Amino acid sequence: MTPWLASGLIYASGLALTAGSITLLYIVTRTFNFAVASMATIGFYVTYTGVTLYGGLPYQYYPAVLIIGAITGVICYFGLNRPLLNRKAAETTLMMSTLGYDLILLSMIQMYADFLTYTYKLFPRRVTMSLFDFEIYGERAATFILPAIAIGSLLLLHLFLTKTKFGIAMRATIENPVLAGASGINSDRVYLVSWIISGGMAALGGSFMSMAITGTPVMGMYTIPLMFAGAILGGLGSIYGGILGGLVIGLTEFAGVFLLSKYLGPWVLGYRMGIPLFIMAATLLVFPRGLSGIPLAKIIRNYYAGSRRGAGA
Amino acid sequence: MTANGSLNEKLKGLLSHRVLLVSLVILALLAFLYFSRGTSIILTILIQVTIFSIITMSLNLESGYSGIPQFGRVAAVIAGAFAVGAIPGRIMAGFMGLPSGAEYTADTVNFRVVPEINALLASNWLIALGFLIMCLVFAGAAGALIGWLISRPAIRLKEGYLGISMLAIGDFLMWVGHNWTLLVGGSVPANVPDPFRLFGTARFSVIVPVFFVIAVLIFIYLNKLTQSPFGRNLRMLRDNDLSANAAGLNIVKVRTQSLVIGATIAAIGGGLYVIYTGSVAAIGLTRLTFTFWPWAYMMLGGIGSNVGVFLGVFLLTILRTMIIIFRSQWFGFLMAVGIDPLWLEYTLLGAVIIIVILFLPHGLVPEKIEPMLPKNRVKKVLASRV
Repeated sequence: MTPWLASGLIYASGLALTAGSITLLYIVTRTFNFAVASMATIGFYVTYTGVTLYGGLPYQYYPAVLIIGAITGVICYFGLNRPLLNRKAAETTLMMSTLGYDLILLSMIQMYADFLTYTYKLFPRRVTMSLFDFEIYGERAATFILPAIAIGSLLLLHLFLTKTKFGIAMRATIENPVLAGASGINSDRVYLVSWIISGGMAALGGSFMSMAITGTPVMGMYTIPLMFAGAILGGLGSIYGGILGGLVIGLTEFAGVFLLSKYLGPWVLGYRMGIPLFIMAATLLVFPRGLSGIPLAKIIRNYYAGSRRGAGA
Repeated sequence: MTANGSLNEKLKGLLSHRVLLVSLVILALLAFLYFSRGTSIILTILIQVTIFSIITMSLNLESGYSGIPQFGRVAAVIAGAFAVGAIPGRIMAGFMGLPSGAEYTADTVNFRVVPEINALLASNWLIALGFLIMCLVFAGAAGALIGWLISRPAIRLKEGYLGISMLAIGDFLMWVGHNWTLLVGGSVPANVPDPFRLFGTARFSVIVPVFFVIAVLIFIYLNKLTQSPFGRNLRMLRDNDLSANAAGLNIVKVRTQSLVIGATIAAIGGGLYVIYTGSVAAIGLTRLTFTFWPWAYMMLGGIGSNVGVFLGVFLLTILRTMIIIFRSQWFGFLMAVGIDPLWLEYTLLGAVIIIVILFLPHGLVPEKIEPMLPKNRVKKVLASRV
């Protein structure tokens, strides 16, 4: 496996989780969650703390990552999002409120990094997490494990949404909040659960991404445009669309940088952020409702109809 | 009718009361800083206040009056900063026969060329003034251009989508400036010729009134603009774009105009910032400083009120500065465990945003619905009708 594909897969599965987290929260609560940036960084720091202070592999700290991510989500829901949703605040207000929360989390992360430096004599401001990884068949284990974990957790999410009673209630609330409320679904609890899930997903995504890129306290802040790009590319209509969008953005960034720097020279590396944004803009021009808005079934049907007609003539 | 009138007057009294109270707090804090740290800190605060109130007023025009979620304010600021860093210096160098092409911003050339231009600017105040005006013109033009470019997708996209796209554009511009050495030197910041060089050490005390005059001119312009029929169109668009459209308003045109005017003003602010700091460090033009702080200023001051914006900028700038200068005295307990109290600036920013949203949704100075004409003029018109 070429190096770009290995890192690209790791990075893209992290981006897919964060983009999915943004999409889930948007379709349930209409909130564009800026705090995903800091939640992702928190996920990275939880794994980093575990690995450096208690040893072991990064993977064994993922349950802790999920729990802490979920807790940050719950705090944001009760402290900020619920009062604003009750007030029926505008979309921009909801967005700004998560931005405020994100900045507070960011300051705490920075202070925590200072604390680690001072107390444990660590270097938490530039971390290469892949050093803590082991090798399978001459490849970094993360290349296989992380996409597998991502797919596994998505399957769990899918099963939760389609097979459990609460998941179905959640989908009902997404489809039509008023009707769902009338049929006795507690929308408050649905919002809470969506914050828990999306907080866990964001933190897990961040700790995935740190296996491919340098972990810094501003890691999330620099990658949040790409997370949003993934969510928007997916169309903000379904969680699966958001996940697919994040995957596409992450892979095209690594593939694009690799190919372009091969043919044009290493100066391309500085503009790597432009590649996924260009992909997003180009896709939105063709499909204004994003990837999940592509009428795939219709296209296939038309294609077969066309070929049949061709055969007939 | 009379009850309504007295209620109105009471409200108005309360409002001016609030403005007075906040101004008093600001003055008290300024006096405290003056007596504990001297004039230099006051000058720094005043310069920052003028620059950021220009940027925040432009944000207020776009987000407060027109209701566009402008999360990419930094894009226009960057356009202005890059224009001032790249163009006027090259023109001066070209006239003086110095290297003015691609090599102007190269790190081996720039630090020799700029002092020569500075020497010329220091020799003649007329040239210095002309240079300052040239900087502002180029900054404004670059801002207008970037505003127009951003306004193209703004027609299609809605609320959140638009905000995120603008945020991404701003970030991308920052990386372009950081990597493209031709523009403003890339990671080695290009120096900007200093039109205030002839004042020597009194530079800052001259910058303050000059920038202040520019800010006041922009304030007057924006006040006139928002009270004009155009300003009413903006507010109509913000409150209900469907009904605005039904009333025959060309939404696309009005939105584009608002974005272009706002970007021009923000770019002038960016240009002034670069002139003040003396170099264009692209990596320093972050969305945190030039998008999120202005949002916090605007939300604290009061969305849709330029006086409020000014007070918000003033109050928060003072608080920010106080965190920086008193960090060892007040936050020693944090430093004892190795934590730099500078991070409290982020905490302050986040806390202000959250507190304003939750408890003070209209800000310190809520938007006032003003009649288009002064009261006595309205009475006169009514009298002449009868």
